[in-house]
Amino acid sequence: MQSFIRKPLAVASSIWIFLLLVAFVRPSILATHATTFSDTTFAFDKPSSQHFFGRGQVGEDLYSFAVYGGQNAVRSILIAVGIGALVGVPLGLISAWAGGRIDRATMWLVDLLFSIPVIMLAIAIVAILGSGITSAMVGIGFAMITRFARITRAAALAEKEELYIDAAKITGLSSFTTMRRYIFPNLIPTLVVQVAILSSIVILIGTGLSAIGVGAERDDADWGAMILRASENSLSEGYWLFFPACLPLLLTIVSLNLLGDALRDSYVPSGSVTSLTSTRRTAKTTTADLDVIDRAALFSVASLSVEFPTAKKQSPKKVLHDITFSVKKGEVLGVVGESGSGKSITMLASAGLLPAPGQITQGSTYFDGRDLTTATEKQWQKIRGNDIGYIFQEPIASLNPALTVGNQLIEPLLVHTDLTKKEARAKAEELLAEVRIPDPASRMKQYPHEFSGGMAQRVGIAMALACEPKLLIADEPTTALDVTVQGQILDLLSDIQTRRDMAIIFVTHDLGVIAEIADQVIVMYAGQVVEQASAENIFSSPTHPYTQALLATMPQNHSGDVDKPLTVIEGTVPSQTSIDAGCQFAPRCTYVQEQCTVTLPTLTLVGGSTVACLRAEELQSEVVNLTVSSTEKVTQ
Amino acid sequence: MLELDNLHVRYTPTKKLLSPAAKPVKALNGVSFSLGPGQTMGLVGESGSGKSTLAKAILKLTDVHSGAINFEGQDVTQLNRKDSLSFRKNVQGVLQDPYSSLNPLHDVGVIVGDPITRHLGIKRRDTRNQRVRELLTLVGLSADFLERKPHQLSGGQRQRVSIARALAVEPKLLIADEATSALDVSIQSQIINLLKKIQQEKQLALLFIAHDLEVVKHIATDVGVMYLGYLVELGKTETLYSEPTHPYTKMLLASIPVPNPKQQEKRKALRQSFINAEPPSPSNLPMGCPFANRCPVAMDICKKEMPDPTVTANGFSRCHLHTSGPKLDGETVVDFIKKQAHT
Repeated sequence: MQSFIRKPLAVASSIWIFLLLVAFVRPSILATHATTFSDTTFAFDKPSSQHFFGRGQVGEDLYSFAVYGGQNAVRSILIAVGIGALVGVPLGLISAWAGGRIDRATMWLVDLLFSIPVIMLAIAIVAILGSGITSAMVGIGFAMITRFARITRAAALAEKEELYIDAAKITGLSSFTTMRRYIFPNLIPTLVVQVAILSSIVILIGTGLSAIGVGAERDDADWGAMILRASENSLSEGYWLFFPACLPLLLTIVSLNLLGDALRDSYVPSGSVTSLTSTRRTAKTTTADLDVIDRAALFSVASLSVEFPTAKKQSPKKVLHDITFSVKKGEVLGVVGESGSGKSITMLASAGLLPAPGQITQGSTYFDGRDLTTATEKQWQKIRGNDIGYIFQEPIASLNPALTVGNQLIEPLLVHTDLTKKEARAKAEELLAEVRIPDPASRMKQYPHEFSGGMAQRVGIAMALACEPKLLIADEPTTALDVTVQGQILDLLSDIQTRRDMAIIFVTHDLGVIAEIADQVIVMYAGQVVEQASAENIFSSPTHPYTQALLATMPQNHSGDVDKPLTVIEGTVPSQTSIDAGCQFAPRCTYVQEQCTVTLPTLTLVGGSTVACLRAEELQSEVVNLTVSSTEKVTQ
Repeated sequence: MLELDNLHVRYTPTKKLLSPAAKPVKALNGVSFSLGPGQTMGLVGESGSGKSTLAKAILKLTDVHSGAINFEGQDVTQLNRKDSLSFRKNVQGVLQDPYSSLNPLHDVGVIVGDPITRHLGIKRRDTRNQRVRELLTLVGLSADFLERKPHQLSGGQRQRVSIARALAVEPKLLIADEATSALDVSIQSQIINLLKKIQQEKQLALLFIAHDLEVVKHIATDVGVMYLGYLVELGKTETLYSEPTHPYTKMLLASIPVPNPKQQEKRKALRQSFINAEPPSPSNLPMGCPFANRCPVAMDICKKEMPDPTVTANGFSRCHLHTSGPKLDGETVVDFIKKQAHT
């Protein structure tokens, strides 16, 4: 509701609709004159303080006519949309739920009804029931049934695929209950919007019918009839005669649409979707302390911090805090962390791809000796096209389903290189062969959906390699794949890496994968780097309590007896990172001390590892002892 | 308690205008096994192996082509309305995605309470909520979760709510379909421990489906390995991991990376001994063994005939090596070597 009140347009719309409802229930409150009031001597008087909208053909008060006309408008909506929704929504629900023959039969009927033009249907019903706005609206109501039935069916079919509907079936809920309590409430936002849109259509059609003399009587207080009368006299008396009817009509239609959208938005239950005032990504960057930057490295990021603005008045959400890392030429850096650790945002921000409304609040980026801290979007595009390749997690979803794989490979080649189309095609084929896709020539003509997950990821790699990058950023490239396919992709990547002497940043949550592919490792937790070390050190002497616990919790590391419960890290992964005072891991840490909840640890060199832990040195000295008994300690 | 007999499930793609009728997708091909009370069966395999279809078939969420699913002597595929309801009470499921398996509009009290009203007839709000509170405590959530909505919960908490919902009606059989796959490692082990504890306390029969063999190892007493709709190997957990009898099981085991650079180097070499071929399409399965094109020890017969299950030391294996493989001393080589190793 709060989000609703915050929108001034929505508030204005609801005030207008409220006035319309008052006009429907008791027009005398708003009107200044009765509809029977007339005086032909003052016909077509201009607007005045007594007659806000002027006077009509027989000297009637046009403002009061407009107010009374609101009655017909609301009545039209109630009849037509009422019939449409009351019949159409259940029809659509039943159709979607039952499926099969019932579905086909109802949809066949609905389509049949749909094929008759709305106006024809209304005129036909008027011919049967006699003229008047009510019979015209019954006709339109029939036409609305088809709209409601189709929309409800489509939305319900989508909802039916949701897993919680399966869950409802498993609990044994009856079909009726499932429809009433599970599917229907989730359709309400869609239906609210439809009611708003169709209401405005109904008013338009109703007014239109009256304006051609099929709906309301010529002298009625009805917006359509007023337009009819105005059009008869506007040539001699002036265009302003249209305003008394057209202005409320316009306002009603606009209000209905705005209100529909606002209601739908306020209905969405998710707490995560807050209406964010869009702030553009700005590089308010400080070229941070240069000592941290490893100038010998191919790519280095220093003191990177990222914030996401939250709803007004709250302080922005700090997502990344003081991230520093670097990759040398030909080296594989493994980035490991759980969901919410900020590993993906780190990679996106480092490649100039931070999604709006995220903001880089500090930090600097160096690539191959160039300072990219203040690079513009255009410069970034050039760098990403030529020097940095990016592979995404969802291989099939990250390809364009409407283009052949060949075209998707050729296009960037044409943009970023001087190759001719023919050369680009040959190069694309070569790339597909390099990622070991059998029969590349014919595979080029296929669409992404014809590829398996593993094959699609190979295409993703080929695309990233197209412009011979010096650095490849791979964000969970094997997470969506089967283990056997994961193995193939890892083999492929390390093969290409050695052949091209390329650096890779490999992001994953799987320490097993890290063990295979990485030379250097950074461990992330809640938007911070908590440990950085060589792969060898990370596995043989993990120093940060989180790294230790993460290793211990892996089923592979469970020692001995299967009957013993698995080692766990108590608590939950902080999902909404808000970096406050103290160590982020403190609430879950077995070695926590009072100071940990007060002081935020920074990365310091302890032994062979860089660790962000206040007790790192103590723990390091115990490390031999720890690796033996860490399992038992963490279980407690 | 649960017995599957030669179960087949097929999906027929909807016929498109002007295109020839597509071949049906064979999702399950003659799967048979049984599961008793207090037993946990793990089911592993890659995507497309039919493990989720199997869960759906048992939960009556998909149509069965042929074969029978017997639960306590009754064929689930032929249940009438009334028996159907009591079947729902006895068999419950925890589904994969903790984010879409809970109705976003209901609070936890309703999510867990609905099945209580449906099956146990408890309608009074305070009695029902009392029961929900007990269940929440059982799955390790505090009672004040009762009024929370799904979007206020983390993935692990949602999965705990799913488990509470499944346990609400005191089922005899629980089917967990990839119940921990979407969770973080540190949360995954919490849920595994919880499921295992509850299974042992309540003596439930548990069918635990996952693609991660390491996870299954810690919860299952028996493990079935599926490949393209076939149950290719079934055995006791301890022996299946140490002495896999089907080449596909070996390949799966070799593919799991170990968090230790030195060990992983060895495992990588083992993994690379398998053939990097794409599995055949389930709508166009070959005549013989579907694994033949990826199998490093495939023989001629493998391309012609699908092997029948052969009884092994603690289960069965559908591999020609055990019947038609090279012979040594009157036995097939694989069995001979195994026997030698044991003596």
